[in-house]
Amino acid sequence: MIDGTRVIDYHGHVGRWERYGMVDDPELLLGAMDAVGIDVACLFHIFHPDGTTGNDLTAKFVARNPDRFVGFAYVSPTMPDRMVPELERAIDKLGFPAIKLYPPYTPWPFNEEPWHPIYEFAQDRGLAIIFHTDHFINSRPRYFEDLAPAYPRVNFVSAHCGNVPEARAEAIAAAQKYPNVYLETCSTYRTPGVIEELVEKGGADRVLYGSDMPLMDPRPQIGKIITARISDEAKRMALGENAARLLGI
Amino acid sequence: MSSLNFSPRVPVIDANVCVGNHHTGPSPCQSPVQLLEEMDFHGVERAVIYHAQGEQISPTDGNRYLEDWLDEDGRLIPQWSVAPVETSMGQIAELHGRGRVRSVRLHDCQSAGLPFLPWGYDDLLTFLSDAGIPLWIPLMDVETDHLVTTLKAYPDLHAVLVGAHYTHALVVRGLLEASPRAVLELSRYEPIGEVEALVERFGAERFVYGSWYPRYAMGPILFYLHHTRMGEDELARVCAGNVERLLGRTETS
Repeated sequence: MIDGTRVIDYHGHVGRWERYGMVDDPELLLGAMDAVGIDVACLFHIFHPDGTTGNDLTAKFVARNPDRFVGFAYVSPTMPDRMVPELERAIDKLGFPAIKLYPPYTPWPFNEEPWHPIYEFAQDRGLAIIFHTDHFINSRPRYFEDLAPAYPRVNFVSAHCGNVPEARAEAIAAAQKYPNVYLETCSTYRTPGVIEELVEKGGADRVLYGSDMPLMDPRPQIGKIITARISDEAKRMALGENAARLLGI
Repeated sequence: MSSLNFSPRVPVIDANVCVGNHHTGPSPCQSPVQLLEEMDFHGVERAVIYHAQGEQISPTDGNRYLEDWLDEDGRLIPQWSVAPVETSMGQIAELHGRGRVRSVRLHDCQSAGLPFLPWGYDDLLTFLSDAGIPLWIPLMDVETDHLVTTLKAYPDLHAVLVGAHYTHALVVRGLLEASPRAVLELSRYEPIGEVEALVERFGAERFVYGSWYPRYAMGPILFYLHHTRMGEDELARVCAGNVERLLGRTETS
Protein backbone atom coordinates (compact mmCIF):
# COMPACT_ATOMS: atom_id res chain seq x y z
CA MET A 1 0.00 0.00 0.00
CA ILE A 2 1.11 3.53 -0.68
CA ASP A 3 -0.93 6.14 1.17
CA GLY A 4 -3.94 3.80 1.18
CA THR A 5 -3.65 2.77 -2.47
CA ARG A 6 -3.22 -0.90 -3.26
CA VAL A 7 -0.25 -1.04 -5.63
CA ILE A 8 -0.28 -3.50 -8.53
CA ASP A 9 2.79 -3.96 -10.70
CA TYR A 10 1.43 -4.91 -14.13
CA HIS A 11 4.66 -6.18 -15.72
CA GLY A 12 6.97 -8.83 -14.29
CA HIS A 13 8.62 -12.07 -15.31
CA VAL A 14 9.18 -15.58 -14.12
CA GLY A 15 12.37 -17.12 -15.50
CA ARG A 16 16.09 -16.50 -15.38
CA TRP A 17 18.40 -14.59 -17.69
CA GLU A 18 21.57 -14.48 -15.64
CA ARG A 19 23.71 -12.63 -18.14
CA TYR A 20 21.55 -9.58 -17.47
CA GLY A 21 21.28 -10.14 -13.74
CA MET A 22 17.71 -11.47 -13.99
CA VAL A 23 16.99 -14.08 -11.33
CA ASP A 24 13.43 -15.01 -10.34
CA ASP A 25 14.12 -15.51 -6.67
CA PRO A 26 10.83 -14.80 -4.87
CA GLU A 27 12.65 -13.39 -1.85
CA LEU A 28 14.40 -10.88 -4.09
CA LEU A 29 11.13 -9.81 -5.69
CA LEU A 30 9.24 -9.62 -2.42
CA GLY A 31 12.06 -7.72 -0.73
CA ALA A 32 12.03 -5.04 -3.41
CA MET A 33 8.23 -4.94 -3.47
CA ASP A 34 7.97 -4.59 0.30
CA ALA A 35 10.56 -1.82 0.35
CA VAL A 36 8.24 0.45 -1.63
CA GLY A 37 4.78 -0.87 -0.84
CA ILE A 38 3.98 -2.93 -3.94
CA ASP A 39 1.17 -5.29 -2.96
CA VAL A 40 0.77 -7.45 -6.04
CA ALA A 41 2.90 -8.18 -9.10
CA CYS A 42 1.66 -9.66 -12.39
CA LEU A 43 4.11 -12.23 -13.77
CA PHE A 44 4.55 -14.24 -16.95
CA HIS A 45 7.13 -16.57 -18.45
CA ILE A 46 7.96 -15.85 -22.08
CA PHE A 47 10.93 -18.11 -22.75
CA HIS A 48 9.08 -21.23 -23.98
CA PRO A 49 7.10 -21.06 -27.25
CA ASP A 50 4.82 -23.93 -26.29
CA GLY A 51 3.32 -21.75 -23.57
CA THR A 52 2.70 -24.75 -21.32
CA THR A 53 6.21 -25.00 -19.91
CA GLY A 54 6.38 -21.36 -18.93
CA ASN A 55 2.80 -21.13 -17.74
CA ASP A 56 3.34 -24.09 -15.42
CA LEU A 57 6.45 -22.42 -14.03
CA THR A 58 4.48 -19.22 -13.54
CA ALA A 59 1.70 -21.09 -11.74
CA LYS A 60 4.21 -22.79 -9.47
CA PHE A 61 5.89 -19.48 -8.67
CA VAL A 62 2.57 -17.76 -7.96
CA ALA A 63 1.34 -20.64 -5.80
CA ARG A 64 4.09 -19.99 -3.26
CA ASN A 65 2.76 -16.48 -2.62
CA PRO A 66 -0.74 -16.34 -4.08
CA ASP A 67 -1.64 -13.14 -2.27
CA ARG A 68 1.34 -11.30 -3.81
CA PHE A 69 1.60 -12.59 -7.37
CA VAL A 70 -0.81 -13.00 -10.28
CA GLY A 71 0.08 -15.14 -13.29
CA PHE A 72 -0.63 -14.21 -16.91
CA ALA A 73 -0.86 -16.77 -19.73
CA TYR A 74 1.77 -16.78 -22.45
CA VAL A 75 1.42 -18.41 -25.88
CA SER A 76 3.18 -17.98 -29.20
CA PRO A 77 1.88 -18.22 -32.79
CA THR A 78 5.08 -20.07 -33.66
CA MET A 79 3.22 -23.12 -32.29
CA PRO A 80 -0.25 -22.31 -33.63
CA ASP A 81 -1.96 -25.58 -32.76
CA ARG A 82 -1.15 -25.11 -29.11
CA MET A 83 -2.28 -21.52 -28.72
CA VAL A 84 -5.96 -21.79 -27.96
CA PRO A 85 -5.84 -25.10 -26.03
CA GLU A 86 -3.06 -23.68 -23.88
CA LEU A 87 -4.98 -20.46 -23.30
CA GLU A 88 -8.00 -22.48 -22.23
CA ARG A 89 -5.85 -24.43 -19.81
CA ALA A 90 -4.03 -21.39 -18.44
CA ILE A 91 -7.19 -19.35 -17.93
CA ASP A 92 -9.58 -22.10 -16.82
CA LYS A 93 -7.31 -24.45 -14.91
CA LEU A 94 -4.40 -22.29 -13.76
CA GLY A 95 -6.70 -19.35 -13.05
CA PHE A 96 -4.72 -16.69 -14.90
CA PRO A 97 -6.79 -13.53 -15.53
CA ALA A 98 -4.90 -12.11 -18.52
CA ILE A 99 -2.53 -12.82 -21.41
CA LYS A 100 1.01 -11.71 -22.28
CA LEU A 101 2.35 -11.69 -25.87
CA TYR A 102 5.88 -11.07 -27.09
CA PRO A 103 6.02 -10.27 -30.84
CA PRO A 104 9.87 -9.99 -31.08
CA TYR A 105 10.08 -13.76 -30.54
CA THR A 106 7.99 -14.40 -33.67
CA PRO A 107 8.25 -13.60 -37.40
CA TRP A 108 4.99 -11.63 -37.47
CA PRO A 109 3.77 -8.13 -36.62
CA PHE A 110 1.09 -8.55 -34.02
CA ASN A 111 -1.74 -7.34 -36.23
CA GLU A 112 -1.19 -10.18 -38.71
CA GLU A 113 -3.31 -13.26 -39.10
CA PRO A 114 -1.30 -15.79 -37.06
CA TRP A 115 -2.11 -13.83 -33.88
CA HIS A 116 -5.85 -13.52 -34.37
CA PRO A 117 -6.96 -16.80 -32.76
CA ILE A 118 -5.57 -15.36 -29.52
CA TYR A 119 -7.62 -12.20 -29.94
CA GLU A 120 -10.76 -14.17 -30.72
CA PHE A 121 -10.25 -16.18 -27.55
CA ALA A 122 -9.72 -13.02 -25.52
CA GLN A 123 -12.77 -11.41 -27.13
CA ASP A 124 -14.94 -14.34 -26.11
CA ARG A 125 -13.68 -14.13 -22.53
CA GLY A 126 -13.32 -10.36 -22.23
CA LEU A 127 -9.64 -10.60 -21.26
CA ALA A 128 -6.80 -8.12 -21.17
CA ILE A 129 -3.67 -8.74 -23.25
CA ILE A 130 -0.33 -7.07 -22.56
CA PHE A 131 2.00 -6.81 -25.58
CA HIS A 132 5.67 -5.98 -25.63
CA THR A 133 5.79 -2.86 -27.79
CA ASP A 134 8.69 -0.92 -29.28
CA HIS A 135 9.71 0.77 -32.54
CA PHE A 136 10.55 -2.41 -34.44
CA ILE A 137 8.25 -3.78 -37.11
CA ASN A 138 6.73 -6.68 -35.15
CA SER A 139 5.83 -4.60 -32.11
CA ARG A 140 4.56 -1.20 -33.26
CA PRO A 141 1.83 0.23 -31.04
CA ARG A 142 0.03 1.55 -34.11
CA TYR A 143 -1.30 -1.98 -34.63
CA PHE A 144 -3.67 -1.37 -31.72
CA GLU A 145 -5.64 0.86 -34.06
CA ASP A 146 -6.42 -2.25 -36.14
CA LEU A 147 -7.16 -4.49 -33.18
CA ALA A 148 -8.95 -2.33 -30.63
CA PRO A 149 -12.07 -1.66 -32.75
CA ALA A 150 -12.12 -5.21 -34.09
CA TYR A 151 -12.04 -6.76 -30.60
CA PRO A 152 -13.90 -4.32 -28.37
CA ARG A 153 -14.14 -6.70 -25.38
CA VAL A 154 -10.37 -7.08 -25.26
CA ASN A 155 -8.30 -4.58 -23.31
CA PHE A 156 -4.99 -4.02 -25.11
CA VAL A 157 -2.03 -2.99 -22.97
CA SER A 158 1.05 -1.42 -24.58
CA ALA A 159 3.97 -2.62 -22.45
CA HIS A 160 6.82 -0.12 -22.25
CA CYS A 161 4.46 2.19 -24.10
CA GLY A 162 6.66 1.70 -27.15
CA ASN A 163 9.88 2.67 -25.31
CA VAL A 164 10.91 5.50 -27.67
CA PRO A 165 9.13 8.73 -28.64
CA GLU A 166 7.82 7.77 -32.08
CA ALA A 167 6.39 4.47 -30.84
CA ARG A 168 5.10 6.11 -27.66
CA ALA A 169 3.19 8.58 -29.81
CA GLU A 170 1.53 5.67 -31.60
CA ALA A 171 0.48 4.10 -28.30
CA ILE A 172 -0.93 7.38 -27.05
CA ALA A 173 -2.80 7.96 -30.33
CA ALA A 174 -4.38 4.52 -30.05
CA ALA A 175 -5.39 5.18 -26.45
CA GLN A 176 -6.94 8.49 -27.46
CA LYS A 177 -9.05 6.79 -30.13
CA TYR A 178 -10.08 3.63 -28.34
CA PRO A 179 -11.20 3.11 -24.74
CA ASN A 180 -9.75 -0.40 -24.64
CA VAL A 181 -6.09 0.62 -25.08
CA TYR A 182 -3.86 1.05 -21.99
CA LEU A 183 -0.35 2.41 -21.51
CA GLU A 184 2.14 0.54 -19.29
CA THR A 185 5.15 2.39 -17.97
CA CYS A 186 8.18 0.14 -17.49
CA SER A 187 11.26 0.89 -19.55
CA THR A 188 14.96 1.44 -19.22
CA TYR A 189 14.22 4.66 -21.08
CA ARG A 190 13.35 6.75 -18.04
CA THR A 191 13.04 9.91 -20.08
CA PRO A 192 11.91 13.03 -18.17
CA GLY A 193 8.28 13.92 -18.73
CA VAL A 194 7.09 10.57 -20.08
CA ILE A 195 4.71 9.80 -17.23
CA GLU A 196 3.34 13.32 -17.41
CA GLU A 197 2.83 12.90 -21.18
CA LEU A 198 1.01 9.60 -20.77
CA VAL A 199 -1.34 11.05 -18.16
CA GLU A 200 -1.94 14.30 -20.01
CA LYS A 201 -2.46 12.85 -23.48
CA GLY A 202 -3.61 9.29 -22.85
CA GLY A 203 -5.57 9.93 -19.68
CA ALA A 204 -4.79 8.96 -16.09
CA ASP A 205 -7.38 6.19 -16.32
CA ARG A 206 -5.27 4.44 -18.98
CA VAL A 207 -1.85 4.39 -17.33
CA LEU A 208 -0.59 1.23 -15.64
CA TYR A 209 2.51 1.08 -13.49
CA GLY A 210 4.82 -1.81 -14.43
CA SER A 211 8.45 -2.61 -13.63
CA ASP A 212 9.74 -5.52 -15.76
CA MET A 213 11.03 -7.13 -12.58
CA PRO A 214 13.22 -9.06 -12.01
CA LEU A 215 15.03 -7.88 -15.15
CA MET A 216 14.76 -4.48 -13.53
CA ASP A 217 14.31 -3.54 -9.92
CA PRO A 218 10.75 -2.28 -9.34
CA ARG A 219 11.95 0.59 -7.14
CA PRO A 220 13.32 3.00 -9.78
CA GLN A 221 10.40 2.10 -12.02
CA ILE A 222 7.80 2.98 -9.39
CA GLY A 223 9.93 6.02 -8.65
CA LYS A 224 9.04 7.27 -12.12
CA ILE A 225 5.40 7.52 -11.03
CA ILE A 226 6.03 8.88 -7.54
CA THR A 227 8.45 11.61 -8.70
CA ALA A 228 6.39 12.67 -11.74
CA ARG A 229 4.62 16.02 -11.88
CA ILE A 230 1.13 14.52 -11.85
CA SER A 231 -1.68 14.73 -9.32
CA ASP A 232 -1.97 12.33 -6.41
CA GLU A 233 -5.20 11.09 -7.96
CA ALA A 234 -3.40 10.26 -11.21
CA LYS A 235 -0.70 8.47 -9.23
CA ARG A 236 -3.29 6.36 -7.42
CA MET A 237 -4.90 5.38 -10.71
CA ALA A 238 -1.59 4.45 -12.34
CA LEU A 239 -0.23 2.62 -9.31
CA GLY A 240 -3.13 0.29 -8.80
CA GLU A 241 -6.68 1.42 -9.37
CA ASN A 242 -6.59 0.98 -13.15
CA ALA A 243 -4.97 -2.45 -12.92
CA ALA A 244 -7.46 -3.63 -10.31
CA ARG A 245 -10.31 -2.59 -12.58
CA LEU A 246 -8.74 -4.23 -15.63
CA LEU A 247 -8.06 -7.53 -13.89
CA GLY A 248 -11.10 -7.62 -11.64
CA ILE A 249 -8.96 -8.15 -8.57
CA MET B 1 7.56 2.91 3.44
CA SER B 2 6.62 5.01 0.46
CA SER B 3 4.32 7.92 0.07
CA LEU B 4 2.72 9.38 -3.03
CA ASN B 5 5.22 12.20 -2.76
CA PHE B 6 8.96 11.98 -2.21
CA SER B 7 11.72 14.19 -0.86
CA PRO B 8 15.24 13.02 -0.11
CA ARG B 9 16.22 12.61 3.55
CA VAL B 10 19.88 13.45 3.00
CA PRO B 11 21.79 16.14 1.11
CA VAL B 12 22.06 15.28 -2.57
CA ILE B 13 24.61 16.01 -5.27
CA ASP B 14 23.73 14.68 -8.70
CA ALA B 15 27.01 13.36 -10.11
CA ASN B 16 25.88 13.14 -13.71
CA VAL B 17 23.95 15.90 -15.48
CA CYS B 18 24.28 16.88 -19.13
CA VAL B 19 23.53 20.45 -20.20
CA GLY B 20 23.04 22.01 -23.61
CA ASN B 21 21.84 20.52 -26.85
CA HIS B 22 23.26 17.46 -28.54
CA HIS B 23 23.76 17.82 -32.29
CA THR B 24 20.87 15.40 -32.74
CA GLY B 25 18.23 17.58 -31.10
CA PRO B 26 17.27 19.99 -28.36
CA SER B 27 17.40 19.25 -24.67
CA PRO B 28 14.20 19.62 -22.63
CA CYS B 29 16.24 21.86 -20.34
CA GLN B 30 17.39 25.05 -22.06
CA SER B 31 18.80 27.19 -19.27
CA PRO B 32 20.50 27.11 -15.87
CA VAL B 33 17.29 28.47 -14.36
CA GLN B 34 15.33 25.52 -15.72
CA LEU B 35 17.95 23.09 -14.46
CA LEU B 36 17.93 24.61 -10.99
CA GLU B 37 14.14 24.41 -10.93
CA GLU B 38 14.34 20.71 -11.81
CA MET B 39 16.90 20.16 -9.07
CA ASP B 40 14.72 22.01 -6.56
CA PHE B 41 11.70 19.89 -7.49
CA HIS B 42 13.62 16.70 -6.72
CA GLY B 43 15.52 17.99 -3.70
CA VAL B 44 18.93 18.00 -5.39
CA GLU B 45 21.20 20.64 -3.89
CA ARG B 46 24.08 20.57 -6.36
CA ALA B 47 24.91 18.89 -9.66
CA VAL B 48 28.04 18.00 -11.57
CA ILE B 49 27.37 19.24 -15.10
CA TYR B 50 29.06 18.68 -18.45
CA HIS B 51 28.09 19.98 -21.87
CA ALA B 52 26.46 17.78 -24.49
CA GLN B 53 28.76 19.07 -27.21
CA GLY B 54 31.71 17.84 -25.20
CA GLU B 55 30.25 14.36 -25.15
CA GLN B 56 29.93 13.68 -28.84
CA ILE B 57 31.44 16.48 -30.92
CA SER B 58 34.14 18.69 -29.42
CA PRO B 59 35.41 18.60 -25.85
CA THR B 60 37.04 22.02 -26.19
CA ASP B 61 33.93 23.70 -27.62
CA GLY B 62 31.73 21.87 -25.13
CA ASN B 63 33.81 23.22 -22.28
CA ARG B 64 33.49 26.76 -23.61
CA TYR B 65 29.72 26.39 -23.83
CA LEU B 66 29.69 24.98 -20.31
CA GLU B 67 30.84 28.33 -18.95
CA ASP B 68 27.40 29.78 -19.82
CA TRP B 69 25.78 27.30 -17.44
CA LEU B 70 27.76 28.08 -14.32
CA ASP B 71 25.78 29.85 -11.65
CA GLU B 72 27.10 32.30 -9.12
CA ASP B 73 26.26 30.33 -6.00
CA GLY B 74 28.09 27.20 -7.11
CA ARG B 75 25.17 24.78 -7.24
CA LEU B 76 26.24 23.76 -10.74
CA ILE B 77 29.71 22.22 -10.59
CA PRO B 78 31.54 22.16 -13.92
CA GLN B 79 32.93 18.94 -15.27
CA TRP B 80 35.23 19.47 -18.20
CA SER B 81 35.30 17.05 -21.10
CA VAL B 82 38.68 15.83 -22.23
CA ALA B 83 40.25 13.86 -25.07
CA PRO B 84 43.89 12.78 -25.39
CA VAL B 85 44.70 15.39 -28.03
CA GLU B 86 46.79 18.52 -27.73
CA THR B 87 44.00 21.08 -27.95
CA SER B 88 41.89 19.39 -25.33
CA MET B 89 44.68 18.65 -22.88
CA GLY B 90 46.01 22.17 -23.29
CA GLN B 91 42.62 23.57 -22.38
CA ILE B 92 42.40 21.33 -19.30
CA ALA B 93 45.92 22.30 -18.22
CA GLU B 94 45.01 25.98 -18.55
CA LEU B 95 41.83 25.52 -16.51
CA HIS B 96 43.76 23.51 -13.95
CA GLY B 97 46.32 26.29 -13.71
CA ARG B 98 43.50 28.59 -12.66
CA GLY B 99 42.27 26.09 -10.07
CA ARG B 100 39.06 25.34 -11.92
CA VAL B 101 39.30 21.60 -12.51
CA ARG B 102 37.60 19.36 -9.98
CA SER B 103 36.77 16.53 -12.35
CA VAL B 104 36.96 15.67 -16.04
CA ARG B 105 34.94 13.43 -18.29
CA LEU B 106 36.26 11.17 -21.01
CA HIS B 107 35.25 12.16 -24.53
CA ASP B 108 34.41 9.18 -26.73
CA CYS B 109 37.46 8.43 -28.87
CA GLN B 110 36.87 4.71 -29.18
CA SER B 111 34.32 5.33 -31.91
CA ALA B 112 37.14 7.03 -33.84
CA GLY B 113 39.39 4.02 -33.39
CA LEU B 114 41.40 4.96 -30.30
CA PRO B 115 41.05 2.25 -27.64
CA PHE B 116 41.20 3.23 -23.98
CA LEU B 117 44.66 1.75 -23.47
CA PRO B 118 47.80 3.20 -21.91
CA TRP B 119 49.60 3.74 -25.21
CA GLY B 120 46.88 6.18 -26.28
CA TYR B 121 46.17 7.85 -22.95
CA ASP B 122 49.43 7.90 -21.01
CA ASP B 123 49.97 11.67 -20.98
CA LEU B 124 46.41 12.37 -19.93
CA LEU B 125 46.16 9.67 -17.27
CA THR B 126 49.56 10.48 -15.82
CA PHE B 127 48.53 14.13 -15.52
CA LEU B 128 45.20 13.28 -13.89
CA SER B 129 46.81 10.81 -11.49
CA ASP B 130 49.50 13.30 -10.45
CA ALA B 131 46.99 16.13 -10.03
CA GLY B 132 44.45 14.00 -8.17
CA ILE B 133 41.73 14.86 -10.69
CA PRO B 134 38.99 12.22 -10.94
CA LEU B 135 37.96 10.99 -14.38
CA TRP B 136 34.34 10.14 -15.23
CA ILE B 137 34.32 7.31 -17.82
CA PRO B 138 31.10 6.43 -19.69
CA LEU B 139 31.06 2.64 -19.87
CA MET B 140 29.50 2.55 -23.32
CA ASP B 141 32.47 4.48 -24.71
CA VAL B 142 35.18 2.02 -23.66
CA GLU B 143 35.82 -1.71 -23.95
CA THR B 144 35.65 -3.42 -20.58
CA ASP B 145 38.92 -5.25 -21.07
CA HIS B 146 40.68 -2.01 -22.02
CA LEU B 147 39.21 -0.34 -18.96
CA VAL B 148 40.50 -3.00 -16.58
CA THR B 149 43.92 -2.99 -18.20
CA THR B 150 44.24 0.77 -18.10
CA LEU B 151 42.92 1.34 -14.60
CA LYS B 152 45.39 -1.27 -13.32
CA ALA B 153 48.18 0.62 -15.09
CA TYR B 154 47.25 3.87 -13.30
CA PRO B 155 46.48 2.76 -9.74
CA ASP B 156 46.38 6.32 -8.40
CA LEU B 157 43.71 7.44 -10.86
CA HIS B 158 40.28 8.03 -9.37
CA ALA B 159 37.74 6.81 -11.92
CA VAL B 160 33.97 7.15 -11.81
CA LEU B 161 32.36 4.56 -14.08
CA VAL B 162 29.25 6.06 -15.60
CA GLY B 163 26.11 4.54 -17.04
CA ALA B 164 26.24 0.86 -16.11
CA HIS B 165 23.11 -0.81 -17.47
CA TYR B 166 21.62 -4.24 -16.91
CA THR B 167 23.54 -5.28 -20.00
CA HIS B 168 26.68 -4.67 -17.90
CA ALA B 169 25.51 -7.04 -15.17
CA LEU B 170 28.26 -9.55 -15.91
CA VAL B 171 31.10 -7.02 -15.77
CA VAL B 172 30.29 -4.61 -12.93
CA ARG B 173 31.60 -6.76 -10.08
CA GLY B 174 34.72 -7.66 -12.01
CA LEU B 175 35.39 -4.01 -12.76
CA LEU B 176 35.03 -3.00 -9.14
CA GLU B 177 37.21 -5.91 -8.01
CA ALA B 178 39.93 -5.16 -10.53
CA SER B 179 39.94 -1.42 -9.97
CA PRO B 180 39.95 -0.71 -6.22
CA ARG B 181 39.77 3.06 -6.68
CA ALA B 182 36.92 2.94 -9.18
CA VAL B 183 33.51 4.26 -8.15
CA LEU B 184 30.27 3.28 -9.88
CA GLU B 185 27.71 5.91 -10.85
CA LEU B 186 24.19 4.49 -10.57
CA SER B 187 21.98 6.42 -13.00
CA ARG B 188 20.77 3.40 -14.94
CA TYR B 189 21.87 0.35 -13.01
CA GLU B 190 18.61 -1.50 -12.32
CA PRO B 191 19.19 -5.26 -11.93
CA ILE B 192 16.97 -6.27 -9.05
CA GLY B 193 18.58 -5.98 -5.63
CA GLU B 194 21.99 -5.17 -7.06
CA VAL B 195 22.52 -1.79 -5.39
CA GLU B 196 22.18 -3.39 -1.97
CA ALA B 197 24.27 -6.39 -2.99
CA LEU B 198 27.04 -4.20 -4.39
CA VAL B 199 27.07 -1.91 -1.38
CA GLU B 200 27.30 -4.91 0.94
CA ARG B 201 30.11 -6.41 -1.15
CA PHE B 202 32.21 -3.32 -1.88
CA GLY B 203 31.10 -0.71 0.67
CA ALA B 204 29.01 2.42 0.15
CA GLU B 205 32.09 4.52 -0.61
CA ARG B 206 32.30 2.89 -4.07
CA PHE B 207 28.99 4.30 -5.36
CA VAL B 208 27.56 7.68 -6.28
CA TYR B 209 24.09 8.88 -7.17
CA GLY B 210 23.75 10.32 -10.65
CA SER B 211 20.64 10.81 -12.74
CA TRP B 212 22.13 11.46 -16.18
CA TYR B 213 19.43 14.08 -16.57
CA PRO B 214 17.97 14.89 -19.09
CA ARG B 215 18.66 11.54 -20.71
CA TYR B 216 16.82 10.14 -17.70
CA ALA B 217 14.48 11.71 -15.20
CA MET B 218 16.20 13.06 -12.10
CA GLY B 219 13.95 11.49 -9.47
CA PRO B 220 13.59 7.71 -9.95
CA ILE B 221 17.10 6.58 -8.97
CA LEU B 222 17.12 8.97 -6.02
CA PHE B 223 13.79 7.51 -4.89
CA TYR B 224 15.24 4.00 -5.33
CA LEU B 225 18.30 4.74 -3.21
CA HIS B 226 16.04 5.97 -0.42
CA HIS B 227 14.18 2.63 -0.42
CA THR B 228 17.04 0.19 -0.03
CA ARG B 229 18.52 -1.53 3.00
CA MET B 230 21.33 1.01 3.14
CA GLY B 231 21.74 2.75 6.47
CA GLU B 232 21.42 6.52 6.70
CA ASP B 233 25.17 7.03 6.77
CA GLU B 234 25.61 4.86 3.68
CA LEU B 235 22.77 6.67 1.92
CA ALA B 236 24.34 10.02 2.72
CA ARG B 237 27.64 8.91 1.29
CA VAL B 238 26.12 7.59 -1.92
CA CYS B 239 23.90 10.63 -2.42
CA ALA B 240 26.55 13.28 -1.78
CA GLY B 241 29.46 12.41 0.47
CA ASN B 242 31.38 10.26 -1.98
CA VAL B 243 31.21 12.71 -4.84
CA GLU B 244 32.16 15.55 -2.49
CA ARG B 245 35.20 13.54 -1.47
CA LEU B 246 36.13 12.92 -5.10
CA LEU B 247 35.68 16.55 -6.10
CA GLY B 248 37.57 17.73 -3.06
CA ARG B 249 40.75 16.07 -4.18
CA THR B 250 41.69 19.08 -6.28
CA GLU B 251 41.48 22.85 -6.12
CA THR B 252 38.00 24.33 -6.18
CA SER B 253 36.79 26.60 -8.94
